[in-house]
Amino acid sequence: MAILDDLKDIIVDILDVQAQEITEESKLVEDLKADSLDIVEMLMQIEDKFGLQIPESTAEDFKTVKDVVDYLEKRLQEK
Amino acid sequence: MEFKPLIIGNHTAAVPIIQGGMGVGISLSGLASAVSRQGAIGVISAIEIGMDEPDYRQNKRKANIQGLRNEIRRTRALADGGVFGVNIMAAINNYEEMVRTAVEEEVDIIIVGAGLPLNLPGFVRGTNTAVVPIVSSAKAFQLIGRKWARDFGYSPDAVIVEGPLAGGHLGFSRSQLERLDENRLENIVIDVLTEAQRFEDSSGRPIPVIAAGGIWDKEDIKRFINLGCQGVQMGTRFVATFECDASDEFKEAYLDADEDDVLIITSPVGMPGRVIRGSFIDSLGEGEKIKCRYNCLKTCNPAEAPYCIADALINAKTGNMDKGFAFCGANVGRVDRIVSVKELIRELTQ
Repeated sequence: MAILDDLKDIIVDILDVQAQEITEESKLVEDLKADSLDIVEMLMQIEDKFGLQIPESTAEDFKTVKDVVDYLEKRLQEK
Repeated sequence: MEFKPLIIGNHTAAVPIIQGGMGVGISLSGLASAVSRQGAIGVISAIEIGMDEPDYRQNKRKANIQGLRNEIRRTRALADGGVFGVNIMAAINNYEEMVRTAVEEEVDIIIVGAGLPLNLPGFVRGTNTAVVPIVSSAKAFQLIGRKWARDFGYSPDAVIVEGPLAGGHLGFSRSQLERLDENRLENIVIDVLTEAQRFEDSSGRPIPVIAAGGIWDKEDIKRFINLGCQGVQMGTRFVATFECDASDEFKEAYLDADEDDVLIITSPVGMPGRVIRGSFIDSLGEGEKIKCRYNCLKTCNPAEAPYCIADALINAKTGNMDKGFAFCGANVGRVDRIVSVKELIRELTQ
């Protein structure tokens, strides 16, 4: 759950939403109203927080909060 | 008021005006070299630049690479040592390949809009090529600047701020374009200047801010220089020149257009675009399904696109205005004659 909480912190910081409004099913663009700039900002903050680099091509596949959490879990296990 | 030279990376232009890259085929070596010869900065548009290559219909990717090489070489041969650049849209599918080609050809400046050039500095490290993003908000500029500083230790060689009155694809939503008072270029420029100052303070390297979108005459240029800009980028005025690479029919559309003929469409690129209304635009939606083997744009879905924008723009460039349309800036209604680039630069600077 720690990853989800960290991710929520980042999203709340960037977007105009409250932590309790964010679930794993939330869609970044449709539900949380992130634009392309917000997504880049989010990725930069994730990279800084978790100390990894996310390829642009991977990031294009992120649709929901869960997509990001699953990806981060996988990457952090590999570390 | 005497204008100061515009310095971008290692390149100095005596006249602080960039001729905006205009595609498809509107600003190629003819226009770009003529502008560079007058001391301003000419810009080649790289989009579908291979259209005259013999294998364009068979292998667009290869033709566009070769076309880019040819146009850069032609411009250099004709530019009398003047500074010139190339505009490459981040939204094209072979963007990285086109950027690499421009760097190999040692172009002075690469200008990127229509998307975020997040990894651009990685392509020019150790070269003489400067990199300049086009942004439509301070937020986008700030993001690019932070990303470049963090990942490359690089600060933009300049930034072009393109407001809502610009031509072609616009970095604004339709609703923003309906609220022009809130989104005036002057306001965005002031915010970008503040951000640029912050980056300068931390990197020790100046970032010239260049204003674009709706700039018409010397008074407009002065206004932005007085705000703190180092230069301007202009497009529409350069279409109305003898040297512009568009067909006479395309230029006639500029001469004929009134303010009422200007329209915002949503292009297959996925962004709004400002165009001159014509029979093609009026009949949109009635066309057949397009056949596309290339998918040249990351943001275009050929299965859903009502027309092929590359073909429509090539048709307009070559004079077949019934099968295409002309992009234009908001001031196109003011164009009333075709002049030489030399005359235009003189009018804008003296």
